[in-house]
Amino acid sequence: MMPHTHVPLSVRLRHGFSYLLLLSAVVLAGGCASLSGNTQDRVLAARNRVAPALVHIRPVKEVFVSGKRTEVLTVGSGFIISADGYIVTNEHVAGESSEVWCILSDNTEHEARVVGVDPYTDVAVLKIEADRPFPYVRWGDSDAIEAGQMVLAMGSPHGLARSVSLGIISVRDRYLENASGMSSPYNNWIQTDAAINPGNSGGPLVNLKGDVVGINARMLSGAENLGFAIPANIARQVVTQIIDHGSVRRSALGLVFQEMTSKTDDPSARGVVIADVAPLSASYEAGVRPGDILIRLGNRPMHARHEEELPAVRKAVADLPVGEPVTLVLERGGEEMSFSVVTEEESAYKGRNAEFSEWGFTLVELTPDLARRAQLPGHTGVLVSGCLPGGLAASSGLTPGDIILKLDDTPVASLSDFMNLYKSVQENRKALTMLFVQKGALTRFVLIDQTNSKSSILDREVLDHVD
Amino acid sequence: MSIKSFLPFALCLSVLLFSGSGFSFEQEMLQRAYDTISPALCVLTFTQETTDPRSGEQIRQNGFAVALNVSAEGLLLTNGHLQRDNVQSFNFRVTFRIDGKEQSYPAVLLKKPDDLNVSLLRLQSETPLTLPYVRFSTDAGLSLGEPVAILGIMGETLDFNRAIQEDRIISVLDAPRSTYCLGGQLKMGFVTGPVINRRGQVVGVTGFDLAVAEGGEFFSRSGVPLVYQASLFEKHIASPPDQTQESVEAEEAWLGVFTQPLKEEFARYWNIPEAGGLIVSTVIPDSPAAAVGIVPGDIIRAFDGHPIRAIHDRDVLAFTQMVKEKAPGSEVEITLLRNGEDLALTATLGHRPRAAQDADEYEDEHLGMVVREITRDLRILLNLGEEVQGVIVRRVVSGSAAQAARIQPGLIIMSMNSATIRDLDDYKEAAQFFKQDKPDEITLFVRAGAQTGFLRLRPRW
Repeated sequence: MMPHTHVPLSVRLRHGFSYLLLLSAVVLAGGCASLSGNTQDRVLAARNRVAPALVHIRPVKEVFVSGKRTEVLTVGSGFIISADGYIVTNEHVAGESSEVWCILSDNTEHEARVVGVDPYTDVAVLKIEADRPFPYVRWGDSDAIEAGQMVLAMGSPHGLARSVSLGIISVRDRYLENASGMSSPYNNWIQTDAAINPGNSGGPLVNLKGDVVGINARMLSGAENLGFAIPANIARQVVTQIIDHGSVRRSALGLVFQEMTSKTDDPSARGVVIADVAPLSASYEAGVRPGDILIRLGNRPMHARHEEELPAVRKAVADLPVGEPVTLVLERGGEEMSFSVVTEEESAYKGRNAEFSEWGFTLVELTPDLARRAQLPGHTGVLVSGCLPGGLAASSGLTPGDIILKLDDTPVASLSDFMNLYKSVQENRKALTMLFVQKGALTRFVLIDQTNSKSSILDREVLDHVD
Repeated sequence: MSIKSFLPFALCLSVLLFSGSGFSFEQEMLQRAYDTISPALCVLTFTQETTDPRSGEQIRQNGFAVALNVSAEGLLLTNGHLQRDNVQSFNFRVTFRIDGKEQSYPAVLLKKPDDLNVSLLRLQSETPLTLPYVRFSTDAGLSLGEPVAILGIMGETLDFNRAIQEDRIISVLDAPRSTYCLGGQLKMGFVTGPVINRRGQVVGVTGFDLAVAEGGEFFSRSGVPLVYQASLFEKHIASPPDQTQESVEAEEAWLGVFTQPLKEEFARYWNIPEAGGLIVSTVIPDSPAAAVGIVPGDIIRAFDGHPIRAIHDRDVLAFTQMVKEKAPGSEVEITLLRNGEDLALTATLGHRPRAAQDADEYEDEHLGMVVREITRDLRILLNLGEEVQGVIVRRVVSGSAAQAARIQPGLIIMSMNSATIRDLDDYKEAAQFFKQDKPDEITLFVRAGAQTGFLRLRPRW
């Protein structure tokens, strides 16, 4: 068990899209290899085992910036896991992409189909087709790894394909709290000092047997050799579900857990602290309250003394069948109590984006989490994610962060609601449209006046110059 | 007139001898204004403690500002920026320079008038004072393009020498009150400097604006130097406010709505023949407006018999002022337009919620943090429901037990061990108990944003 620390990890985690290439001359003095012949052979063998299945991935990603939808070309890594061409990479590499190109070790290029993605674990599965079998990797057991053990990181750092770096496992179960909007509630991370750079995302972390023990996915910017990989055992389960069902389905109870040390130093105290209960959730309705200690979920004892034990508790909840009752055994004020709660389906990690070019703005679906943070009763409304400077939305007073609650007098419950209403506004060439929006704690009316929209001015200018 | 001549007795300073023609000041006029008015111009020195709202880090520095004496006994106008949220100013000292000799007095800050970005100070002296002061011409207005002279004080390196500069009125504002924009830049020592017209009348002081919106406080500084006309602070000079230390419950009225003006295109959208009015955009729960059934989308057309014809954003402030000036508890008739129909309601106005900056605080030296009451306006701004009760952390001392427990400003404390914390009194009571009991650790139930959780703290007794 690693020592517990209270120092917050308030560092920024970045995923690796940008691939600025900074080359500096590194002079190699000869003959400093300290690896014994045996180890050198094992590194070579491990590298050679995985290299044929290594994939250089070039997705065209859809991004919504400043009220506009644009496409950007990015670079990531991946690896083939079956002879029929399933490829594993990160969700942040292949998600929200309009096309994904895979370049294999033999330099052949294939356009891949995205089979499915799971933002909660940052795992994506792709599929490529060919009339011959593909070389593929073997999964290793990530529960069997040890800190200090040698590993290789393979992939395309800064777009440099076929790169290998060597290091050791620094920590086998690093707990990372939500950072920069990226959370990983259901897993700890393998921390390694093998060099990981932007572009390594989705590449394999390989042990000296040549088995994949993790998927490289995070690095600490501004630090050196602090890279993080998703454990293979977590990834494999997700990959199987994506291949079988196209997505991962999880259960939720509306509970936020905290480690026992947040309440007590007593090492004999069993269970896990319930820090928060979502209002209107089944758990809340059943009477579960913050401060209760969860000691059993169904028949399984629950325990998390330190924060790195929390992902396992959350995963135990997520793995319950959706829509079925489960018995929570809680401790409250020294007494044991049982509650029967029906699980709900875990909501989407992030909402869909959409661009509305006539008004010059973009919207994102409001997830229950966002709705709760905005303190919206119920889950209605759509969130303004960007406004094009000089566009109609921006000049009418709409700003990013606003939540649209109504269009004219019709409540907007979802992004598709808004899309339909917007479509009819455009089809009928409606001059004035009233939006009722929430801005922070206040609500406000925003009137969109299409009669003077920029596009019609442009049209007129174009017409003026047609002689 | 020489400076010596008014020394033995209090003299109301005004110049009154200008020739009053032409497009700028003649050198002689500027000299005369300088000689006559500058004895009432003082150097105000003070210490200021600024708290970073995020980190809670405090920076202490000494500052100086110009203060203008407006009464023989020592009542001074100065820069309103001295009194804002997150800033504590103290150690006030006012120094007159009369006939080349300096006379220095301690002073206390008075409660800030909330319709003006000007602060007031009162001198403290055991013996009655007769000091040089300026008397304003409250009925003199300024016109577009009119030249004005402004007195100020140069910085410490220039020995706080008094100075005069010329400027011109580049814009005349009618709403929300009569104010004028200056064309030039205002050097630091010229803020709250007296503004003199060509007839030698002191017509106002310079300053930078601040806007107060209904229900909460919003600062919007345009960055343009302004002249506040003397009539705006006439009442504050005639009956100065109380000392700032005694936080008095606001005696202003409150309706509990946020509004936006009924502009032409909004009127067109709702098929209202005539633009002008206030669209209710937000109704604060449990406010007088909510009690009488006002809902978002209602359009206020008349308030207490006065027609409301708001077209511009700034007209909202005039309405805020109108509501404020009523007596809390009074009944007012409000005429609304709802779904095209006229509707008359009678609302009972409430007390305006106390601003967060006036909230009571408590410094917990053992835990190393300052907590404050959750005032009504904080509740509105942070969108906190009535079910959220507690105290809010305002500041965390660096290296303290609170910091070690990852407590940050903005966190809401809802319980400490078994004690429920509903307000500051509960906190004080719990703190008192812990002080005697000296527990090794205290478990807090807190709320950060929309989420709750537990924190364990090890106090240093």
